[in-house]
Amino acid sequence: MSSSIILHIEDKANYFGLVLKTKSEGLIVARPEGLSSGQQSTGSGGPGAKPILLREPCDLCGGKPKCAKVCPTKCIVVEE
Amino acid sequence: MFLRNGKIGVFDLSTMQSSEEEYTDELAKDDISSVRLAERLSSEHGEDSLILGTGLLTASFVPAACAGIVWTKRGLAPILGFAGFELKLTGFDFVVVKGRSDKPGYLWIRDGVIEFVGSEKVPTLDSWKRTDRIRADQGDGKIQVLSVGAWGDAGKHAAQMVIDYWGGEDKVGLGSEFGVRNLSAIAFRGMGELELSEPEKHFEDSLLLLRDHIQRLGKNEGLASYWKGAGRDDFRKITHRSVACYGCPYPCRSYLKVFEDPKELRLVEKEPGYLHYDVPALEKCFGSGLSASDATIVMMKCARAGAEPVSVLDSIVASGSKVTLEAVDSALAKPSDIKNVRAMNFEASFDDIEQYKISLGLGVCPRYWSKVGFNLQGVAAYGQSALGSLPQL
Repeated sequence: MSSSIILHIEDKANYFGLVLKTKSEGLIVARPEGLSSGQQSTGSGGPGAKPILLREPCDLCGGKPKCAKVCPTKCIVVEE
Repeated sequence: MFLRNGKIGVFDLSTMQSSEEEYTDELAKDDISSVRLAERLSSEHGEDSLILGTGLLTASFVPAACAGIVWTKRGLAPILGFAGFELKLTGFDFVVVKGRSDKPGYLWIRDGVIEFVGSEKVPTLDSWKRTDRIRADQGDGKIQVLSVGAWGDAGKHAAQMVIDYWGGEDKVGLGSEFGVRNLSAIAFRGMGELELSEPEKHFEDSLLLLRDHIQRLGKNEGLASYWKGAGRDDFRKITHRSVACYGCPYPCRSYLKVFEDPKELRLVEKEPGYLHYDVPALEKCFGSGLSASDATIVMMKCARAGAEPVSVLDSIVASGSKVTLEAVDSALAKPSDIKNVRAMNFEASFDDIEQYKISLGLGVCPRYWSKVGFNLQGVAAYGQSALGSLPQL
């Protein structure tokens, strides 16, 4: 079980987004400012970016993404 | 050993030496509670030890398995948010801090390493700036920082340990335990991984439990879902959004913005508000006639100074003064020997304080589990697929 999705957070300002490592577009960053892709770091930089960079790209857990299954608010959904 | 690291880190501030002990299956089976294990470690390493600990289920997929602990002879506090989870991924299940440093600085724990970082600068900063400084110096914005401010440095009874930027866990004056050790903060980052016995089964079992809870709990209103006092209009009007701890589907943390439009989602102001989950402090603020906005500012001021807000407001009232922002500024300006009133926040989750300790000792959030119904055997059973075998309860 590996993870290709992490939170991008600035906790003092309660700012957040999601970072997804994809096969086709590299890192996709979803933030209130909008979607961006192809970046090589999460924006927080430094070792904080390491986990997502070391992970394998998302393979949709073989068709049933666990992140979408476990998300209690349905913020993460799968688009066909 | 599944879902655990099998290691207890020991750091002696007097000698600056670190060492390790094995955290065996036998030890875990003898005493599954991290609270009781912390007491045992204290008896082995000295009563003056400060102990960080994680529960058997901390960092599992069991809902709200986010809790770690800080224990000293002064008392016990949970560490929630992402701190308990990150602590378990440092490579240690427990960390014992002994002695007293003869120079100021902070402990830095990660990747199975504990080191003391000497710093003359950090003690001059308030708790928020300490967190900022440590994260900047170590180059990682996700480092968890247990910090104190001037009140903790001075070793005052009403000092409060702050987690990253927020207060609410420490109602027993653990902040002062940092000061007496010449510790400005304890920082840690969890980059490790834990093995699970049956990861897929554990995920699916926990998912079923999570869905059952969500269905029963209904719509979440942040802190107002746990405490009616947060349902007042002025609180709702400046609420930005609710924030969950690791693994929690029903958050009790409401972030209020006082220096920015609460509807602003972009990153504009760096310090626009405060994350509320300290129920007794808010009760005291509202009872003193403060608005939600002023209560938020009071909490920010107390967190920065590392002072416990209920104790501070009580001291103002006891002096015969009205509670205002100016009175709070005046009370916080110089750490004093006011009494720590030991207000109960997470401790009040259950009618029985032992239930609080049992849930916390297992690594799950007492506030969440009191809401969904805590049963030790029932909760622990969900950990079996992660742990491999279920310890004797």
